[in-house]
Amino acid sequence: MNALIRRAAPGRFPWLVRHELRVALRPRARGRSTVVAAIVLALYFGLGLLTAYALRGVALTPSAALLTAVLAATIVITSFMTTQAVLASQRTLFDGGDLDLLLSAPIPPRTVVLAKLTAIAASIVLTFAALVLPIVLPTALLGHSGLFGVPALLVAMALVAACLGLAITLVVVRIAGPRAARTVGQIVAALLAGAIFLVSQIISQHPGARRSGGVTLYEWFSAHHVGTDGIGALPGRAALGDPLAILTLLGGALALFALAGYALDRGFLRSYQTGGVRLSPRAGRASSRAITRHFRAGLFATMFAKEWRLLARDPALAFQIVLRLIYLAPFVVVSLGHDGGAPVAPTLAFISVVGAGQVVGSLAWIAISGEDAPDLLAVAPIDRRQAERAKLASALAMAAPIALLLPAAIAVFTPLGAMVTLVFTAFGGAMAGLIELKWQKPMKRSAFLRRRSGSLLTGALTFLVTGLAGLMAGAIVWLLA
Amino acid sequence: MTEPALSLRGLTKSFDKKVVDALDLEIAAGELYALLGPNGAGKTTTLRMVTGLTRPDAGAIHIFGIDALAEPQAAKALTAWLPDEPMLYDKLSPAEYLAFVAGLWRIPPAEAAPEAERLLKWLELWDQRDQRCEGFSRGMKQKVALAGALIHRPRLLVLDEPLTGLDATMARAVKDALRAAVDAGATVVITTHILEVAEHMADRIGIIAGGRLLAEGTLAELRERAGSDDMTLEDVFIRLTSPLSATA
Repeated sequence: MNALIRRAAPGRFPWLVRHELRVALRPRARGRSTVVAAIVLALYFGLGLLTAYALRGVALTPSAALLTAVLAATIVITSFMTTQAVLASQRTLFDGGDLDLLLSAPIPPRTVVLAKLTAIAASIVLTFAALVLPIVLPTALLGHSGLFGVPALLVAMALVAACLGLAITLVVVRIAGPRAARTVGQIVAALLAGAIFLVSQIISQHPGARRSGGVTLYEWFSAHHVGTDGIGALPGRAALGDPLAILTLLGGALALFALAGYALDRGFLRSYQTGGVRLSPRAGRASSRAITRHFRAGLFATMFAKEWRLLARDPALAFQIVLRLIYLAPFVVVSLGHDGGAPVAPTLAFISVVGAGQVVGSLAWIAISGEDAPDLLAVAPIDRRQAERAKLASALAMAAPIALLLPAAIAVFTPLGAMVTLVFTAFGGAMAGLIELKWQKPMKRSAFLRRRSGSLLTGALTFLVTGLAGLMAGAIVWLLA
Repeated sequence: MTEPALSLRGLTKSFDKKVVDALDLEIAAGELYALLGPNGAGKTTTLRMVTGLTRPDAGAIHIFGIDALAEPQAAKALTAWLPDEPMLYDKLSPAEYLAFVAGLWRIPPAEAAPEAERLLKWLELWDQRDQRCEGFSRGMKQKVALAGALIHRPRLLVLDEPLTGLDATMARAVKDALRAAVDAGATVVITTHILEVAEHMADRIGIIAGGRLLAEGTLAELRERAGSDDMTLEDVFIRLTSPLSATA
């Protein structure tokens, strides 16, 4: 296959795919992170070997339960893959530096679209292969050869997700317009990521359904006999090595892929061309108010005004921070949502501290590591630590209104507990900010979503410190309530 | 005797190899000094060391007599830096950007706001003062950055290739601004690949290669050194920096 691709004529689809795959799959950075990732992968693979050893005597037959479980997992994973595809499509359309080159070359736009789709699907497959295959492949090698169908299922899912992701992105550009497309697209992506959780919560309202996510979906499917036969059983059968199911799913995915290339190429081109409008200055007259309104005395006031404006004018980025809080919602719902759940006030205290850590950590990252003009600050006659302290204070000030919400709710149960929560929330926020300050790693502000891949340490440490502080706050509030 | 605006003594910097090699340079106050050199000659590294962005391995930097390595903040207070890629925030408007820069240099609002208004009008950015920079052309962005560099009235203005990518009108605006800054008493150090700019604007020209100063002086002095009175600066530059002439 590789030899065929190598021999492909320049400018043809296989040649372009080879180029796209080389660019998409090339590691972003080498060095310590690569070593850490290799160690984690090796440990994970070791876990896979243990699992394979434990399962060596167990028969993996296409039972109704297994087929339903695979269907539920397929839906959950495909929703995440589609989220990833929406974000990747946005990057391709709005950030990709090579589209000018590719679309100005004598290559049909359809070939470019299909090559880009292939690259998106490949990056998705790689991400999920790293999560799934270290467990599946050893199991397949140690007696369950049918599981070699799992990689084929992953490829089919990624192809479908890539097509869906691009289609959703183009629809968003069409409806929201090029200016708002990015923000709306990120909101849609976030909703997609949370869709399974939201659906599971709706299902959880039924008596007896207490779990969330994929498990709830599985229980619902089992109760309604979904996924045991017909199309619903195809993912399960493919995962267990049924050649007909694999061919059907892969063939269907490839047909959809070709259809997407045929149907979306014009939309892709139009979205890319209108994307230029996003960069043109907004029409409008200058304000008649005096220019003095922008000028402030003091470093903190200057820094806060700048950070606040930059955040307020980047709704996509602001929404990513709000997402940190939305992702905490499952904890609240799972903790409080059924009989015998955790007590309300201590749980809210815990969430308040951890949430403050997430919000302040994100804001501090944006202000400190995501500084877009670091040289401007470096040549200014201010002490670097002084500037960083002003930025940290700005992050804390911006997070303060959010941090007051849960302590205010706790005050209904215990005013003293609310005060304790407030103190711990401030502590958690400050610690998260200090961690970002201590282990800052300059990156582009636009790389906010990928910042954790740059520093696993700060993420883990923030969770550890704010989690412990949250537990302490919860325990004290529980004693006071 | 007045203090030189910029004095470099034995300035040295190595990355993988030596980029700046024991460079000595002195620029008088009120001069417009053009630092020329082929790609990789060490011009940008030298200017980044002057502005405190890169730490030298050895040597001394004095800005109006202030030791820039020992008292960086005092030196930075007198200096402005304008690189070829403007240090801007796309989501701030020119007026907001100037307010931010003025805040960093701690210029009182009562002083900074009228100066910002003057600069924006002078650089023909007044009508765009409340528009975000993200949609501006390269030339407009460079003018906003130049206004930012001038708002704190620096005594030493350091510019690295400020005319790269600008059209003739924008380039003229930037050149006029630099000349006006010098007329107002500021010292300007500029690197450029556009030799015509150095030829017509600079009071003195320094030619650097391999991290060392090869030649320095007025255009007439450089011509004399190159051995011909009617040479253009381009001819002089090529004569002095070409490896063949160096070995001849």
